[in-house]
Amino acid sequence: MKNKQRVARHGRLSRWVAAAAIGLMALVIGAPSAMAQGNEKVDGQTYVIGTDTTFAPFEFRQNGELTGIDMDILQKIADDQGFKVEVRSLGFNAALAALSSNQVDGVIAGMSITDERKEIYDFSEPYFESGVQMAVAKNNDDIKAYEDLNGKTVVAKTGSEGETYAKSIAKKYGFTVKSLDQSATMYESVKAGSAVAVFDDYPVLAYGIAQGNGLKTVTDKVPGGSYGFAVNKGKNTALLAAFNDGLAEMKANGEYQEILDKYLSDPSASTPGNFFDLAAKSFPALMTGLWHTLLVTAISFAIAMVLGLVFGFMKLSGNIVLRGIATTFVNIFRGTPLLLWAFMFYFGLPQLTGWEISVWTAGVLTLSLNAGAYVAEIVRGGIQSVDPGQLEASRSLGLGYGKSMQKVVVPQAFKMMTPSLINQLIISLKDSSLLLAIGFGELLYQGQQIYAANFRVTETLIIVGVIYFIAIMALTKLANYADRRFNK
Amino acid sequence: MSAVTEQSSQLKIQVKDLHKSFGSNNVLKGIDLDIREGEVVCVIGPSGSGKSTLLRCLNKLEDITSGQVIVDGFDVTDPKVDINEVRRHVGMVFQHFNLFPHMTVAENIMLAPVELKKMDKAQARTRALELLERVGLKDKANARPASLSGGQKQRVAIARALAMAPGIMLFDEATSALDPEMVGEVLQVIKELADSGMTLVLVTHEMGFAREVGDRVIFMADGVVCEQGEPEQLFGNPQQERTRDFLSKVL
Ligand SMILES: Nc1ncnc2c1ncn2[C@@H]1O[C@H](COP(=O)(O)OP(=O)(O)OP(=O)(O)O)[C@@H](O)[C@H]1O
Ligand SMILES: [Mg+2]
Repeated sequence: MKNKQRVARHGRLSRWVAAAAIGLMALVIGAPSAMAQGNEKVDGQTYVIGTDTTFAPFEFRQNGELTGIDMDILQKIADDQGFKVEVRSLGFNAALAALSSNQVDGVIAGMSITDERKEIYDFSEPYFESGVQMAVAKNNDDIKAYEDLNGKTVVAKTGSEGETYAKSIAKKYGFTVKSLDQSATMYESVKAGSAVAVFDDYPVLAYGIAQGNGLKTVTDKVPGGSYGFAVNKGKNTALLAAFNDGLAEMKANGEYQEILDKYLSDPSASTPGNFFDLAAKSFPALMTGLWHTLLVTAISFAIAMVLGLVFGFMKLSGNIVLRGIATTFVNIFRGTPLLLWAFMFYFGLPQLTGWEISVWTAGVLTLSLNAGAYVAEIVRGGIQSVDPGQLEASRSLGLGYGKSMQKVVVPQAFKMMTPSLINQLIISLKDSSLLLAIGFGELLYQGQQIYAANFRVTETLIIVGVIYFIAIMALTKLANYADRRFNK
Repeated sequence: MSAVTEQSSQLKIQVKDLHKSFGSNNVLKGIDLDIREGEVVCVIGPSGSGKSTLLRCLNKLEDITSGQVIVDGFDVTDPKVDINEVRRHVGMVFQHFNLFPHMTVAENIMLAPVELKKMDKAQARTRALELLERVGLKDKANARPASLSGGQKQRVAIARALAMAPGIMLFDEATSALDPEMVGEVLQVIKELADSGMTLVLVTHEMGFAREVGDRVIFMADGVVCEQGEPEQLFGNPQQERTRDFLSKVL
């Protein structure tokens, strides 16, 4: 998802995509904002500005507040020029679509000024010169220039300017380029030594280093695109003029440089917080993630129990059709990866059927059908493990098959099934982390979001791991307690 | 339920040309048997001769291949018969007790009367305690089956089978799984049932007991009734070679 935005940022957002998105955005964003049309004076006005969700260091959330270079520059200019801003964090493509449909007055989102975009929007003077830079591990003194890369592997982000540049010089210097999806994982692979260097956007890299990602830059930046503030073509000229005036002023009085230094300064100037600060800061987001993990597991497992009972009994049925249906169900969902079904339900099913499927629906479907197949086998095994003499004794008393199952066989089977069911519950809880692949906001996904902003991958993963461990231990204890309580 | 003729009305069980096979294995090869009300019939014979299978055909725990079985006026072989109704008239006691381990002793006995809506819980409990008293285990009402000895378990199983007040009781080697010192207490209970005038069919290896309580002894071999008669006659003066052969091994 993140990567898609990055590609669009550097590539071109073709006109028809924007036009198609307008209709959609009108639905998503709802009521149009207050517009300040053609007013020559911006003083006292309030402007609605769209931006990305996370593109550190330009905009990202810290303790829930949107912050970053874009946000600081915008706020400073607004203060200076006497207008107010209402920022909407929409996501890159959505922000542009909202601008095209006049739902927002302007967009500031680390956006490169391109010829294609200039045809649809009016841009301010560039407020940031981007570019590509190479970085290596902090303790690596062997790689000082491109010449030292001969025979080595470097990483770059799929679809980024860094990748294009690295590939353009790879042959000349004799190195290999490996493409990865996220800045954070690129930095980790350099630190771990699976690649010697990373080519990335200079501001992103500088911010990562400032956050203590353990790298250092060793080359000068190769000039790349310039970022600008955009308004719709021919609209909000006063706002655009005010932005340019304010920017010029900031650059003159040094406030502009102060903001850049704040986010891109050398790590020696700003030491990263310790582990416990990180834990404390990331706690609220991780608790939300844990809550989603527990909720999706609980809902899915409840459904899986129903599916498992139905299909488990069907597997024991004398009717060959019922048995065949149940066996097919079990084989399909045990014989295919969980992740495949997550993609299938979230991406495939909407295309096949035209239904809108939320990430929750897709997540619950995936987990419950997968767990349902395993529970069906547990149920079948549990029932078969009950001495057939029990059913015979009950039937010989004149109780019907259903009553005998309900009163005599199932209670005993359930007792034998309990450890396996607890086991399956825990597997489902852990499997729910796979749903991050479709953007479900569970615990590991939240962890990923956190290290995408602060680049402290290992520490964040340790915290996430500890939370999973504690949650699963607590769940196991609870389940065992319930087992002892009800299955005396 | 099904038509029962005048002269057979005092017959509790009628078996006519009963055949039973498991796949290609013909286990019962044409059994004819009439059992009168209040009669105590002991079935003996070598292992694998089909004694258990015969017993289990009487309450249709096994599907009947061919022939007719009429129990307490119900044609068990009629596909339309309500087999659960028939089984309420026929109690069964198994070699391995088959008590329900997740219930107390009293609950084991109360299950059928309560679930079949014959009694409410309080009545069923009173009845269960009466039955337990009858088998000498009133103090075990709230115990779990796992805490009982083999003999006690089997006495509870008998009480459970009596809960629906059946007219017929079937026993399949009720004492075979017991330690010798516990056999007596179970036989004592069975003897009291016999004395009370209930119709009993007992598959047993206890020849002495068969001789003592049986009105009739049936010797089965190879899926047929090889010989039958009063205990004194069958044990004292067996007519068939196979019977003599069998008795010489077990007595
Ligand atoms: N459910 C079954 N499926 C297949 N064959 C069976 C089944 N039950 C019994 N048999 C077969 O039927 C035959 C008679 O078994 P049955 O249990 O009636 O003998 P029995 O006279 O009770 O012997 P025992 O004294 O050992 O209990 C045996 O050959 C046995 O293998
Ligand atoms: Mg037997």
